[in-house]
Amino acid sequence: MNRRRFFHCAGSVAALAAAAGCIGSDGLGGDPDDADDETDDGIDDDRQVTPDLPEIEDPPDAVYVPTHREAMRMLEPIEAGEYTLAPMLSYPHPFWLVDGRETERVDPDGGPAVHLMFSLWDDETGIVLPVDAGAQIRVEQNGQQVGSPRTPWPMISQEMGFHFGDNVPLDGDGTYTVEVTLPPIGVRKTGALEDRFTETETATFEFTYDEDFRQEVIGGIDYLDEEHWGERGAIEPMEHGHGAHGDDEHGDHHGDGDDDHGDHDDHHGDGDDDHGDHDDHHGDGDDDHGDHDDHSDHGHVPYSSLPPAEDYSGTLLGEPETGDATLVISLLEGDTRLTDGTEPYLLVSPRTPYNRVPLADMALSATIDRDGEELATFDLEQTLDDEYDLHYGAETGLDDAELEPGDTVTITVESPPQVSRHRGYETAFLEMPAVEVEIPEEVSE
Amino acid sequence: MSLPDRTGLSRREYLRAVVAVGGASALSACVAENGETDVPGGTDDPDSLPSRQHAWNDALSTDDDGNVQLPEHHVLLALSLVEDGAPTDEDRETVETSLRTLERAYEWSNEGLVFTIGYTPAYFDRVGSLATETVDLPEPTALTTREDPEPDDFDALLHLASDHAEVVLRAEEALFGDVADVNGVDVDADLSSIFERLDDQRRTGFVGPGLPADHTDTSGVPEEVPEDAPFFMGFRSGFRANQATEDRATITEGPFEGGTTQHVSSMDIQLETWFTQDSHRQRIAKMFSPEHVDEELVGEIGERLSTSSGVTDERIEATAEDARTRGVVGHAQKAARAREDGQPLLLRRDFNTVDGDRPGLHFLSLQREIEEFVRVREAMTGSDLAGNGVGGVLNNGILQYIFVNRRGNYLVPPRSLRALPPGDPA
Ligand code: HEM
Repeated sequence: MNRRRFFHCAGSVAALAAAAGCIGSDGLGGDPDDADDETDDGIDDDRQVTPDLPEIEDPPDAVYVPTHREAMRMLEPIEAGEYTLAPMLSYPHPFWLVDGRETERVDPDGGPAVHLMFSLWDDETGIVLPVDAGAQIRVEQNGQQVGSPRTPWPMISQEMGFHFGDNVPLDGDGTYTVEVTLPPIGVRKTGALEDRFTETETATFEFTYDEDFRQEVIGGIDYLDEEHWGERGAIEPMEHGHGAHGDDEHGDHHGDGDDDHGDHDDHHGDGDDDHGDHDDHHGDGDDDHGDHDDHSDHGHVPYSSLPPAEDYSGTLLGEPETGDATLVISLLEGDTRLTDGTEPYLLVSPRTPYNRVPLADMALSATIDRDGEELATFDLEQTLDDEYDLHYGAETGLDDAELEPGDTVTITVESPPQVSRHRGYETAFLEMPAVEVEIPEEVSE
Repeated sequence: MSLPDRTGLSRREYLRAVVAVGGASALSACVAENGETDVPGGTDDPDSLPSRQHAWNDALSTDDDGNVQLPEHHVLLALSLVEDGAPTDEDRETVETSLRTLERAYEWSNEGLVFTIGYTPAYFDRVGSLATETVDLPEPTALTTREDPEPDDFDALLHLASDHAEVVLRAEEALFGDVADVNGVDVDADLSSIFERLDDQRRTGFVGPGLPADHTDTSGVPEEVPEDAPFFMGFRSGFRANQATEDRATITEGPFEGGTTQHVSSMDIQLETWFTQDSHRQRIAKMFSPEHVDEELVGEIGERLSTSSGVTDERIEATAEDARTRGVVGHAQKAARAREDGQPLLLRRDFNTVDGDRPGLHFLSLQREIEEFVRVREAMTGSDLAGNGVGGVLNNGILQYIFVNRRGNYLVPPRSLRALPPGDPA
């Protein structure tokens, strides 16, 4: 299903020198016609709008370490009603749409464009809002609309976590105004979020697209040590505020790709240590970046990190993995504010390994069995809560029956997260077999 | 607006652009391009025409499969009454004479001209409110959380449609007294003393195989629009089985019996994402249903479908389950959930546009009651599905690609009441 509209420079470090040769006069390679189209748009022909990124052949069917950290320009966060929105801009790059259980690769077309992203959080709780309500963006230059309005994709990336983004074509160099419209959030909301996010809000920001910008974001790409490429693992969430790596030492990587890889990893302080602990992530994924849990720090752009398993109240039934996602499964007994009735609430919180990014737009259902006999089966509803954040939940629906130790709870992934993926997430969370957990002897109240 | 530069445009593109401009210069440019078209004349016997203004289907041509084929060129003229206060009988006569001129001039067909005139709630507020329980004509409002539409709050809307660019242009000129004769018929009365045209509200468009692909020079229209597609989003639409019949869309009782209600919404369409990011499989799943992909029912542009979109009762019923198990639902399957007794409620006569130099759709549908439109639109929005396998817009039909800018509700009276109807025609 991978449709490639342009030739890609297949990659390994050794291929990078050759890769330089695959950059056409328009910086993309493979489509000399484009160069002609672009001659009168005020951008000189040698400009490069897209870096020629190496490809990892045969990545694992799991979260994996990409070849680089993306560089981006962070704009000032903007307040819009109850929300704050942090716009980020990078070079246009491939990403993957999800089509059922398959992915569809989207490649930039080589014209002037940015990868436009924003993350959106609730001012009050600091929670990054990982749900698709159909935000819209309209881009203007000198009062003229550029292209049609668009609804950016909900996306996940290792660096930015959950955000909205798209490759947005531009009319060439210049200053652009972007208007973002945020419609009310329609999914089930509970706790302090229950009556929130009911108004449409708008936010406007400006950015300049020019050679400086391109050099900053393309030159700022931080290649990781090749030995880690494609390894199971993930790069750490970006340090917001230090997102744009303007360092010049990266600017020449196309020319001498071979040398600039040996010495990169620790330039930014976070290059190396986000690799040391990859192999045991599944075991201790919880404490490797405790500082990202601090949602309420307003000076900072929060990262969409779910609480670690032990922070969920109720009885933790397990943290099984499926499709490389972790499903934190908890049973909230009795009188929880998450239900109307008296039945226990089954809460399932799927997240990426390592960075604990919430996995939105899934469909999950649960089945409860006792001694091989089915007691109940029910759908879980995607829910946004101020304490538990994004999760899928429902009352257990056992009517008068009580759960007993030894009963099994099977969580079936009817459809995997349909959110789009940045590199390193596109092969994971697709095939997600059902997982089973058991009701333990002691159920905590 | 000034006439388009002829260079670099195909004949069809040029004619479309000329229709968009309108006026005398557009008409002469059109004639210069095409020569005078030989257009079949109309009738001097008004009784030979259907009593419903919207009775177009029997007069229109059909495609190879037998589906009604809308005329290629469309113009929507927004009209505002010149005088305050209730119209007089004399005004009514002027309007009726003017409309009859068009019927005498042109055959009621694709080759000739079909048209309707509809009236807004604002009009009835002005002339005396609709004093009948048999028609409910609400003010247009936002119908989804993702829109903040401008209402059509002028008085009336004339919809002109023909296969010939020259005909829609000349008809408009005749209605406003800018030509002395029209297809050999003298123009004795015109609308200019009654109505003012709102030029910024003049809307135009086109529909038919190959027409959308002619517009890939327009910003926002990618090369990938299929060569033969009749609509911008690349698929055939308007299959016989998926349209309300004219009977189903007609008001059956009260003074406006034989009339219909009309909803017009104008929207931008995001075609770049649709064609250069989504795959053909995704487009089919999002437009029709995921099973249309599995069963390969559609083909490139819907050529495998004949008189039905293939949205069967089973596929309609499967909508919620498709959301959960497939992570995607189709627009057609979702909208069809609003059928009544298995019958579609809307008679859609929508057409493509590049008004404002960007791709869009003027969605025009006829139905017995506006409330039925609202119900179908709710089914299409599918907020019940959001969070149950699909997002608010993500994989939830085609919502992600459409951006509504305007909405208007109209009463299209029966022909006998089409000229400035009172609110209570006893
Ligand atoms: C760009 C916008 C739109 C496109 C490209 C589009 C396209 C289509 C297509 C291809 C079909 C299936 C073929 C057919 O049945 O004719 C369809 C069906 C339908 N559409 Fe749309 N449509 C659009 C907007 C709308 C809107 C705004 C409505 C308003 C509610 C609507 C209502 C329907 C209905 C009622 C059906 C038939 C359902 C049934 O079979 O009962 N569509 N549309």
